[in-house]
Amino acid sequence: MARTFKRRRDGRLVVTLPEEAVLVLRQVTDDLGQMVAAREPGPVTDRMFPRAYLDPTEEEAEHEWEELVHDDLSRSRTEALQGLLADLDAAERSKGDRMQMVLEKGGEARWLTALNDARLALGTLIGVSEDEGPEYPDDDPRAAGAQIYVFLTALLGDLVEVLLDEAPEDGVD
Amino acid sequence: MSGDTGTGTEEIVIPDTVEELLGQDEVRPDVPWIVIVWNDPVNLMTYVTFVFQKLFGYSRAKATKLMLQVHNEGKAVVAAGTREKCEIDVARLHAYGLWATMQRDD
Repeated sequence: MARTFKRRRDGRLVVTLPEEAVLVLRQVTDDLGQMVAAREPGPVTDRMFPRAYLDPTEEEAEHEWEELVHDDLSRSRTEALQGLLADLDAAERSKGDRMQMVLEKGGEARWLTALNDARLALGTLIGVSEDEGPEYPDDDPRAAGAQIYVFLTALLGDLVEVLLDEAPEDGVD
Repeated sequence: MSGDTGTGTEEIVIPDTVEELLGQDEVRPDVPWIVIVWNDPVNLMTYVTFVFQKLFGYSRAKATKLMLQVHNEGKAVVAAGTREKCEIDVARLHAYGLWATMQRDD
């Protein structure tokens, strides 16, 4: 079976997924885009747009920082999600039920952040709290979300593995 | 943090210089603000390591050490500097979905 993420010789990343996975990702990306745009007060927004200062005496600095940062953060998340959607829309049928996408150079950055954002939002919604990952009985309303969460975790894990392999060992110690 | 990095051990490196020795457990201790990354149940250990390397240019060893500190101790100081620099670092970490805050280095 083909690896999900594979670096081509020209530097572009090739993503190969079952058709069903592409459909799930589309849905997740749509849902997340709406959540990011709405930024409704609640645990998901708190997790995706956390405070910079914990110190309550820094409330003014916190407010100024949020003014400066949160709209940009929302915009960059939306752009990453739109880019991911465009990649998914451009998926072409490969072998059998598999779909293939060739990302433009650097396109993996938006996959990385969008997949992680989706896990943050979903993980918060279904209340992930254990290192082992979520498991709920089939009749639990969180079961479907948990399945998608596990899928996103595996996908992101695969992508990070490729990117870590390519990242230098050296750097600031 | 979630996931398995495959390694919990690190090579022990003997510092060559006093600066290296002093700098081992703190990031630039002479500056007034620090950036802290907190443990959370969602972010993958490998992902956190990758983000530390990418954002701060840390070596794999340093990034892994900080990631394990977050995972095992609940938090780690990942950067330090002026208030303005730390505000930027916190924003960059949030853009990657890490739970980061800043405070005075008391």
